[in-house]
Amino acid sequence: MESLSNRWNKFKASMAPRVRELKFSLRRIKDSPLSIVGISIIIVFAAIALLAPVLARPQSSRDPYLIPHEGFSPTPRPPNENHRFGTTQGQYDIYYGVIWGTRTAFRVSILVVGSALLIGLVIGCIAGYYGGIVDEVFMRITDIFLAFPYIILIMAFVTAMGASLDSVLKALIIVWWPSYARLIRAEVLSVREEDYIEAAKAVGGSDFRVITRHVLPNSIYPVLVMASLDMGAIVLTAAAMSFLGLGAPVGYADWGQMISFSRNWIVGPPGNPFAYWYTVVIPGLFIFFFVLGWSLLGDAFRDILDPKLRRR
Amino acid sequence: MRSYIIRRLLLLIPVLLGIIILTFTILQFFDPVQRASLYVTNPRQFRDIPAIIQKYHLNDPVYVQFYYWIKEVLRGNLGWSKSINLPVTDAIIYFLPATLELFIFAVPLTILIGIRLGRISAVHRDKPVDHVTRGLAIAGYSLPTFWLGLMLLMVFYGFFSGLFPPERLGTAADAFVNSAAFTRYTRINSLDAILNLKPWILLDALRHLVLPVITLTVVNIAFVMRIMRSSMLESLGKGYVVTAKAKGLDEKTVINKHAGRTALIPVITVAGYLVSGLMAGAVITETVFTYKGLGWWSVNAAIQLDIPAVLGFSIFVGTIVVLTNLVVDLLYAYVDPRIRLG
Amino acid sequence: MLVVVVVVGAVAISMRKTTPAENRVVKNPDTLVYETIGEMESLDPAWAYDTASGEVILNVYEPLLLFKGGSTDEFEPRIAESWTISDDGLTYTFKIRTGVKFQNGDILTPQDVVYSIKRAMVQDRDGGPVWMFLEPLIGVGTYSTRDSDGNISIPFEQINNAVTVEGDSVVFHLKQPYGPFIQILAQTWASIVDENWCIAQGDWPGTAETYENFNNPQTPPLQEKMNGTGPFKLDRWEHGVQIVLMRNDNYWRTPAKLKSVVIKKVDEWTDRKLALLAGDADFVYIPRANVLEVENLEGIRMIKDLPTLAADAVFFNFEINDNSEYIGSGKLDGNGTPTNFFSDKDVRLGFAYSFDWDTYIREALLGEGKQPASPVIDGLPYVDPNAKKYSLNPAQAENHFRQAFGGALWENGFKLTLLYNTGNEPRRISAEIFKQNIENLNPKFSIEIVGRDWPTYLRDMVAGNLSMYNLGWQADFPDPHNFVSAFMSSGGSLSMFQHYNNPLVDNLINSGIIEPDPAKRQTIYYQLQQIYYDDVPSLMIDQVVGRHVERDWVNGWYYNPIIPGTPWGGDYYPVWKGY
Repeated sequence: MESLSNRWNKFKASMAPRVRELKFSLRRIKDSPLSIVGISIIIVFAAIALLAPVLARPQSSRDPYLIPHEGFSPTPRPPNENHRFGTTQGQYDIYYGVIWGTRTAFRVSILVVGSALLIGLVIGCIAGYYGGIVDEVFMRITDIFLAFPYIILIMAFVTAMGASLDSVLKALIIVWWPSYARLIRAEVLSVREEDYIEAAKAVGGSDFRVITRHVLPNSIYPVLVMASLDMGAIVLTAAAMSFLGLGAPVGYADWGQMISFSRNWIVGPPGNPFAYWYTVVIPGLFIFFFVLGWSLLGDAFRDILDPKLRRR
Repeated sequence: MRSYIIRRLLLLIPVLLGIIILTFTILQFFDPVQRASLYVTNPRQFRDIPAIIQKYHLNDPVYVQFYYWIKEVLRGNLGWSKSINLPVTDAIIYFLPATLELFIFAVPLTILIGIRLGRISAVHRDKPVDHVTRGLAIAGYSLPTFWLGLMLLMVFYGFFSGLFPPERLGTAADAFVNSAAFTRYTRINSLDAILNLKPWILLDALRHLVLPVITLTVVNIAFVMRIMRSSMLESLGKGYVVTAKAKGLDEKTVINKHAGRTALIPVITVAGYLVSGLMAGAVITETVFTYKGLGWWSVNAAIQLDIPAVLGFSIFVGTIVVLTNLVVDLLYAYVDPRIRLG
Repeated sequence: MLVVVVVVGAVAISMRKTTPAENRVVKNPDTLVYETIGEMESLDPAWAYDTASGEVILNVYEPLLLFKGGSTDEFEPRIAESWTISDDGLTYTFKIRTGVKFQNGDILTPQDVVYSIKRAMVQDRDGGPVWMFLEPLIGVGTYSTRDSDGNISIPFEQINNAVTVEGDSVVFHLKQPYGPFIQILAQTWASIVDENWCIAQGDWPGTAETYENFNNPQTPPLQEKMNGTGPFKLDRWEHGVQIVLMRNDNYWRTPAKLKSVVIKKVDEWTDRKLALLAGDADFVYIPRANVLEVENLEGIRMIKDLPTLAADAVFFNFEINDNSEYIGSGKLDGNGTPTNFFSDKDVRLGFAYSFDWDTYIREALLGEGKQPASPVIDGLPYVDPNAKKYSLNPAQAENHFRQAFGGALWENGFKLTLLYNTGNEPRRISAEIFKQNIENLNPKFSIEIVGRDWPTYLRDMVAGNLSMYNLGWQADFPDPHNFVSAFMSSGGSLSMFQHYNNPLVDNLINSGIIEPDPAKRQTIYYQLQQIYYDDVPSLMIDQVVGRHVERDWVNGWYYNPIIPGTPWGGDYYPVWKGY
């Protein structure tokens, strides 16, 4: 029976290379201005999302995601002391909308990426590990999804399920999992043939153990890259759906929904063409920076974590 | 090689079948009354809803509808697109030239600019130029397409009094193009203008293309740039490049002749993704600029539950995507001997 | 790359127009451009029932007569030179004009008139306008040539004998007096087509044997081509994009002043607005929320306060479907809506006293509308000037809610889900107004507002799932029968989904339409208006007032609430551009 300290030392030793790699990655991240910018942006947004109830107090009895509005007047009002960022058509407070919209954005992207990742993980692992006909069938199915113009697929699903944020969520998950499945499968395939897998199996490790202990950890990097890029891409797609009128309902705190409000106010009266700039620019900037943050991060990850490019 | 091509082409069939089945599954969600709403444009027609449902077989079980539809498809008839009041096949042919015209300009621009930026970025890795270029490209990708389109419209059509207008042609040019003095060979306006030797039509067409093309390009440059950069970096570190440098060849030749060429290979792959990415971008861009192409028609049809149109469009685009991937893989195999022989 | 940007910027700045004097120059002086959001469904006069198609047909084809200028009860001759109506109201005789040519050169004869009407009745497509011929000519209550199984139930002789040629005149033989018949003939579905040309296009040959083949076709026979007698002819229809009409120089009256008319489908308001400001468009459709942006601008003329013959109402569902997902528990326990909720008149009255028309008209309609007392709206004959209306009265509302269901409603409360179709702001606002005012009365009253896309809304309305639904109606012809039958009759187009069955109402409606004596008709419609107030089966929400916007170099446009395409477009014959 080994002593506790011995086992601890062995564990530390086995993890040492991983820790070293991790330290290297962290240093690379610190050295890359783009990833610093990306991370900072994300931290700011995360703070906004967490502090939403403080930054924009919800009205007592209502669902906090419903933007408060005074009256129904259709003309947007510019920023004033009551409404920091102005109001949209229908008098919805823009400040409130973009603050709580941050929560919506995180919710949508985390849910979709998480679910798509999970589904893709399971399917990709099974397909890649077992190969053969199982692999063929799953891959044909992903082919079909990937060949279908994804925007039309999402539109069709959302229309079928009734336009709402939940339908958009479900439709996005349905459309997004194939690319993760493909990715995981490719990683599994490349790792499957490695010697250490043979060794693990020879020693008697079960399939599940082999997959979780050996295959998955090595596949993490490209998944991380794809997931961070997708956090942005999903918000963009959900915003596009709201823009087309197929997303969150009127008055819900969602960035895309707020831009769809502004669609008719792009050009103000002559002599003052940018009169309603705040209805378009402010929600648009929120989307832009959110996506920018995640995309910078994802791109930096790709640069840092790609084994072929790491040490140059 | 031949058998490879044939095998890939045969795979087209199950994929298309899958698309069809997928769309018909979506059909399951729709109530006959919901589908009938397409034909009901004013309240006086409400009382006719049962008759409409019967007439257009909207209430038949899915497999019956599927049977009727497949029967027609095999005869070359993809159905009637009610949202545009044309047969679906006619609608596709009718709207295709507009979208093609967008792609003819957007694809080369995206690829050329992306390659150039990718190269610059790779060569000056981790220096300020690299960060700025990558930052700009990613910023472009982070812009919501519809937002960029609307902003551009606001500045260049509103503020600059009609410099780059929406739609495809101005009133005068449109009248001329449809008159007896002009032959519409391809219905791609810029091309036809050249074939008809009418420079002012060409100018008008280009004027209308500027903003949609910019919108499409800006958003997609990042894809190409990224791939080019990473593959360029990879090949710059390769053995033969190091040798070339050691031999004394100047930096420029090394980059262009040796590293550059091999780096192009993954760009071919990207070309495949580019087509689907541009298709999605085209849907939004065409809507914002009232540029009536396939993308615009598909959105119009989907919102109105025009099922034949959605099916027809999906089959068409699905086929294009699969064929594009095939062409890409073939090019890939042709260019890289390792794949061809392996 | 940088160089390119600089050059483009320089060119852009140099091209920027600065002198306002330039909008004195009329753009496209002989072409009128109208940008709007709709598109025509069909160019076949017997098929088309939407106003976008109607507008085009109005300018290319002609009926026997047309409404005179802006009037809804005076007519002026077109294909008919003059007409007489028999004393018993059963025979209408039209003397047909000579010397009128179709656009392909054929000369118009009375036989063409007869063919046009018969052709329409033979075609009678589902959801089409032909019921307006069938009711007067075949019999009141006939809405289709087919029965509910889709088989033909009207024999050909009835169609054949309904309208005949007699010398140089055409005679209509009605089954019973029908007041609005002359109004029906003054509209686009009664357009006169060229028999020979139609047959050459593959349309109905005019025989009894082919009646069944050409009945209720899948697609309109005259979908893409037009051959009328009107002031314009079809140049081309680019689906989804635009339709172009050119002047008919062989028109039997003085040819039109405009050389061409272009009606474009432009869905983005921004694009339309910029086109209007730049002078590239002469007429544009403006969504209500945006009209204020173009008011008082140089070069643009806005005509306001145009009375319409359109009204919106909210209908109470007397028997909500059991399986509806919107009724919660379905019981009077505070957690749902019982299926017979609105069958209790006190509930309906409670809602009637809870609607704030002032706020609604001000906020949702920008003040451009009024509250009608009943479906017999202003502008129609036989409007009762003393008809009573409901108004916001929380005390009365509370009173009625307390009495509802013997007091159980007030005790237990309810939870109601109100649907509106997404994109329709006024309807959403009306829902919010109900919610606000009713929830204030009793904390146990709860109303949830949900938006659904139109197809889903339609599905739920047809299935009876909605507790209340909003619908609007636009006049087919300016007669109260059109409105009361739609809003109040048990089989009415709008009221059929609310399960309101009042035999007295149905009787009055049926006798009202065939009554030839105006004084007796008035009594009937006055009575119907009173019943509407007493029974409150639905609540009239608004009758809107319209606006028209045009560049100030446009002249000659006129307004008539019945003409399709107005107030934004309309009749282009008298229009010209210039100062």
